[in-house]
Amino acid sequence: MNSKLIHRRGFFERAADGISGAALASLALSEYAVGEEIPAAPSLEPASGGPRRGYDTQPRDTHHPAKAKAVIQLFMNGGPSQVDLFEPKPLLDQRHGEDYFNEIAEDISSPQAAGGLLRTPFKFKQHGESGAWISDALPHLHEVVDDLSFIKSMYNNHPNHEPALFKIHSGRLLPGRPSIGAWVSYGLGSVNQNLPAYVVLDDPRGLPVNTVQSWQNGFLPPLYQGTRVRSEGAPILNLNAENPYPEGITTLQRDLLRKIDRMHRKDRPNQLQLDARINSYELAARMQLEAADVLDINQESQATLDMYGVGDKKTDSYAKRCIMARRMVERGVRYVQIFMSGQPWDSHNGLENSIKSAAGQTDQPVAALVKDLKQRGLLDDVLVVWGGEFGRLPIAQMRDKKNYASAGRDHGPRGFTLWMAGGGVKPGVSYGATDEVGYAAQDNPVSIADWHATILHLLGLHHHDLFFERNGLKERLTDTFKPRIVEEILA
Amino acid sequence: MRQIILLSLIFTGSTALAAEKPTYEKDIAPIFQKKCVSCHNAANQKGELDLSTPFGLFKGGESQSTLVSGDLDSSYLYELVHTKLMPPEGEGEPLTDEEVHTIESWITNSTPFADGTDPDSFVAASEVNQHDIQPIMLLRCTVCHGNRRQEGGLDLRTKAAMLKGGKSGPAIVLGKPEESLIIKRMAAEEMPPRDKLLPSGVKVMPGNEVEMLKRWIELGGPEVVIAPDIATVSGDPLVTEEDRQHWSFQKPVRSLVPHAESGQAYNAIDAFVLQQQKAAGLTMSAEASRAVLIRRVYFDLTGLPPNAEEVEAFVNDTDPAAYENLVERVLAMPAYGERWARYWLDAAGYADSEGKRSADPVRNSAWRYRDYVIRAFSKDLPYSEFLRQQIAGDELLDYSNAEVITQEHVDNLVATGFLRMAPDGTGSDVVNSVAERMEVVADEIDIFSSTVLGLTMKCARCHSHKYDPIPQRDYYRLMAVFQGAYDVHDWLKPTAVPSQSNGVMKNRTLSVSTPDMIAKVDAHNQVVQKDIDAEYQRLEALEAELQEAHLAKGLETLPEAIQGDVKTAFEIDGNEHDEIQRYLFEKFETLLTLDEAELGKDKAYQELKKEVDEKVKALNNQKQTVPTIRALWDRGEPSPTYIYVRGDYTQSGRLVGPGVPSVLTDGKTPFVPAELEEQAVGTGRRLALANWLVSADHPLTSRVMVNRIWSHHFGRGIVSSIDNFGKLGTLPSHPELLDWLAVEFVESGWSVKHMHRLMLMSRTYRQVSDLSEELLVADPENVLLTRMPLRRLSAEEVRDSVISVAGMLEQSRFGEPDAVNVRSDGLVTAIARDGAYRRSVYLRQRRKEMPSWLETFDLPQMNPACQTRSTSNVAQQALYLLNSEMVRELSAEFAIRIQAETRDVPAQIEKMYLAVLSRKPDATELELSSEALQQLQQQWQVYRDSLPEAERETVDAELKALTIFGHTLLNSAGFLYVD
Repeated sequence: MNSKLIHRRGFFERAADGISGAALASLALSEYAVGEEIPAAPSLEPASGGPRRGYDTQPRDTHHPAKAKAVIQLFMNGGPSQVDLFEPKPLLDQRHGEDYFNEIAEDISSPQAAGGLLRTPFKFKQHGESGAWISDALPHLHEVVDDLSFIKSMYNNHPNHEPALFKIHSGRLLPGRPSIGAWVSYGLGSVNQNLPAYVVLDDPRGLPVNTVQSWQNGFLPPLYQGTRVRSEGAPILNLNAENPYPEGITTLQRDLLRKIDRMHRKDRPNQLQLDARINSYELAARMQLEAADVLDINQESQATLDMYGVGDKKTDSYAKRCIMARRMVERGVRYVQIFMSGQPWDSHNGLENSIKSAAGQTDQPVAALVKDLKQRGLLDDVLVVWGGEFGRLPIAQMRDKKNYASAGRDHGPRGFTLWMAGGGVKPGVSYGATDEVGYAAQDNPVSIADWHATILHLLGLHHHDLFFERNGLKERLTDTFKPRIVEEILA
Repeated sequence: MRQIILLSLIFTGSTALAAEKPTYEKDIAPIFQKKCVSCHNAANQKGELDLSTPFGLFKGGESQSTLVSGDLDSSYLYELVHTKLMPPEGEGEPLTDEEVHTIESWITNSTPFADGTDPDSFVAASEVNQHDIQPIMLLRCTVCHGNRRQEGGLDLRTKAAMLKGGKSGPAIVLGKPEESLIIKRMAAEEMPPRDKLLPSGVKVMPGNEVEMLKRWIELGGPEVVIAPDIATVSGDPLVTEEDRQHWSFQKPVRSLVPHAESGQAYNAIDAFVLQQQKAAGLTMSAEASRAVLIRRVYFDLTGLPPNAEEVEAFVNDTDPAAYENLVERVLAMPAYGERWARYWLDAAGYADSEGKRSADPVRNSAWRYRDYVIRAFSKDLPYSEFLRQQIAGDELLDYSNAEVITQEHVDNLVATGFLRMAPDGTGSDVVNSVAERMEVVADEIDIFSSTVLGLTMKCARCHSHKYDPIPQRDYYRLMAVFQGAYDVHDWLKPTAVPSQSNGVMKNRTLSVSTPDMIAKVDAHNQVVQKDIDAEYQRLEALEAELQEAHLAKGLETLPEAIQGDVKTAFEIDGNEHDEIQRYLFEKFETLLTLDEAELGKDKAYQELKKEVDEKVKALNNQKQTVPTIRALWDRGEPSPTYIYVRGDYTQSGRLVGPGVPSVLTDGKTPFVPAELEEQAVGTGRRLALANWLVSADHPLTSRVMVNRIWSHHFGRGIVSSIDNFGKLGTLPSHPELLDWLAVEFVESGWSVKHMHRLMLMSRTYRQVSDLSEELLVADPENVLLTRMPLRRLSAEEVRDSVISVAGMLEQSRFGEPDAVNVRSDGLVTAIARDGAYRRSVYLRQRRKEMPSWLETFDLPQMNPACQTRSTSNVAQQALYLLNSEMVRELSAEFAIRIQAETRDVPAQIEKMYLAVLSRKPDATELELSSEALQQLQQQWQVYRDSLPEAERETVDAELKALTIFGHTLLNSAGFLYVD
């Protein structure tokens, strides 16, 4: 073995204890002054895994040139119905009420509530130059349809929310694995150290199913976990004290800490982790300023606020979070997820009203976000992702066997639709399809691993090269699956 | 051809052959045994062909049929031996002509068997046999028609039982699938019943399984004798002698301690370390100061800082044995067990909840395992016993037939909680299918193999390991060891998810307690009951008083003449009434007694009743129940273990028996289950596993554990991949030292504390952590131990130390975990008891509610466990220590404590330095601190003056300044890092 090589690598692993690149170079030359701005230089380390001694969110090199620099994921908890939103299935109208049990028996969780095939209460039309089908449940989405790329042949592997959510967020049906946002912040870091690399904008009304495990770090170090940024009240846990010290005290305290730490540091040359620790206090201070700024949507024009639907009771909450997400990616946040409380798209009964309610809260803000990003020239760099954990079954789920009007649909993991926009995605594409009743992906099925690999690809990461070593194994987002990047939807 | 046979008969003179047809047993088997089986055996199966059994012979290999009875031309096997293509040249002795002719004769004579077996039965069995059917029955049927339950009197585990059938008659009619009840019921979709699928954890039966069952019945239910695949004399071809040569698979041998220059080495450890340093032209760093050493020893052994008095006493101790005494003293502290248990709990994946589901139900008695581990470390339970109890506690001592349950029985069972820690969602019916149960078993095998063996076995679940010599069968053999207790076809449920569990499965808690424990709980409850009775007596007294008044008042309304007699009738006991008295009593009962409703109207009674009810309720809450044990126990009837092809539980492959990884044994000695006490229920498999692990020459057990201990003291293991000693693991930096320690460990009686003493007493451990430019280049990763590493405090150390420094650490140990409070913004904090907190190890570790403070400082998620914690460095940690309300409150308590000790500012500074940094400030620091305190006090004074007159009293500027000063020290790098 080449011992020099090992030593050299070890040296740079040490460098990764918190300060990288140019900061390291400047350290070697001069005594590091606490409080000095740390330049956000590209890291010497590649994005891929391999053991790192210490962990940080400094920017890292991509595996290949990136198309997307940031992601906004609009997560639609509950499982939006593909056959009521994106895929017209005339056969459901023709055979409405007919028995279909045996064809899909293995996916029926509650056989006693299973009805016949169920037609959609919504009207479908083709829109835009691309001619994509969208139902009238999503009237605003029509306006941006030519910027979107649909995958209509997604499938998941479990008919229950929790496992299906773990699958779509972290690649397997179990908890304990890092979510895609955690992988991305681990792989790429962030160009803005004053804000978390991976932000979760959760619904002030409550957490989604799987709660905080939806943005878990799994076996990655906890710093890669999604940071909950609340759109109301204190945005980040402990960003500010609940009972702040009076003016002047904080300044004195910071000064004192700096002096004590400086003396401590001086007696311990070459201990880079101490620099990183001391520096983290500077970062904390900057985070306080920048977080307040990024969440201040009053800086937006009235026209923008109106476009998103701020002020309209129905859309206000989601609209605000969409605007905040845009402001974050503008400032370099790598991965933003917007979640909704509970599972608004879980239309077990009262199909029409249930979908109208979920769509009513989100449709206008979502369309506005795509428009806004485009107007600002950000859509080229920002990947917007819309979708839930699975779709729904073509048959009715009903408490009262006779009443199709009040029926809903149960979970359907075998076929559902997601869309993506911007960030290197080819606009105006509809890829894949489910079968004649919308039950299972039929044309060009896309697995969740395929989809994850595609997102990583757009971010300049290769799913195979992004790994974390644990128990002697290289763990990956795509696990041991052999995913296919969905080239057909790439620009 | 005929000619040749005749010739051979003449030459050999074997006239017997001419007279008798050759048979399989007498003539054919010996030939295969001699010439073929070394490659084509059960374990090896070159070309997927097993010639060690007649079934294998007829089943054929990858080239399909090998042999057609009576048809020489279609018998490929004959062609191969006859043309001398087999055995391949150079790979064994060719068959003699005589042997070839014997085979020919046997085939042309329709392959007879000496015992009269019909060779066609093997042909049928090779298409489908009971080992194809049994896995299907296990997956779809036996939960209701198996060992635990026989719905309709039906058992579907064996062919015999199927033929016997249940109340509705035989389940199968051989040769007639369409007439077989089981097929009829399946065709009608009555079985498995749809509404029972979910509660039973069974999935819809796919068509191909029904087809296979039909075919089996059609063929008459062929059965073959297949012995489970276990280690045999032929060894495992996938594990070679060369594989066994890997350093960690060889038993450790104590090497000679190298010579070291006098005075340089304090013990053997140093001699080994110095030897390698010398070879690299390096040497040890200087010995650290007493102040540094005491802080290091305290944190390393207890996770808490020493208090000021202890620091002072040690720094000034002139006894030459001062350091040794310190180590002994600290090792004996209760805090040691709490600290070192945590490492093991990480490796075991300890959590107080089941995980996997969003409900994340709390595991009510998991804490008993936590306490067991703490006690084990505290009393230095030999590691060998520690392992035996955790892996096979249920089989060590028979608890089920014990006349008296002893503490040992209880401890043994609690210890098995080690194998019950994996996240487990199967308490919810929707995720309680075999697939999900298999995940739990796989997690436990992971935890076991990484923690105890230092091997990664999980790859072998789906395929033979690519790098380590661990074939897939080894994985399933190990699974078979656990199958008596962890049987995916005979499952015990974890804590049920409310409203998501309708199954009839039993849960996995045992109610096994010592008489002492039951008596203690009874005694406690009796005391509480007395208080309850006393409360009720108060109420009864009032009632009697009211009754009396009511009676007196009522009597007045009666004619005076009878008042006296009526009064007597109401005062004496009913049994003593004479006829007149009874008459009077009955006549006036309604008038003269208060009924419930009337009583309830009395105000005083109302108030007292309310008070008593509340008190009784509170008292009832104080009553204890005898805690149950979340245990793992062998139930004695494991279902057969099949290899899952590519890890897919719907594709059962070969039948295997219990065993341990072949590479860690000679590969030929079968695994023998341990003998248990008479009448004990278990299979003895896990006890045999445990005994094997702790045998003195086990290559891994001792190495893996001493390496763990080492890594926690020195920041990196001698093998830096502490959970992987396999081929992908790192090589030991000091192999002789590791082996010396491993042997020493075993010979010391597996004493963990002995290892601490050795390591802490070494010169190596006593080095400074200073990092010179020279060392940064020469030994950047400290592989050669040229210094001690600077390390950040762990999550628990940060939290426990701040609490301890503030004087708010509650000393009580063990028991139910402390509840946490979950705020809507996500903050998860401990709930204080009278402002005090217990150590973090006692905080409830619910997977979805990890305490924020700990999580911010890298407390890992247990999914399923954590072998090595990572350390991060982010702004959120700074924000937590600066802004968290709890840290601020504790800083205030710290200041109150110090102020109560002295009002002298320099003394206060000195005390705070000693408490937080375990040293006194130097002159510069003292000056800086005094100045800062003065400024802070002035600033607080300014603030105080800005308040309205009435509020000023709430601000004690001096105390506030001291609070900020203490808070600042608790944020300093000097506090957060150990030199």
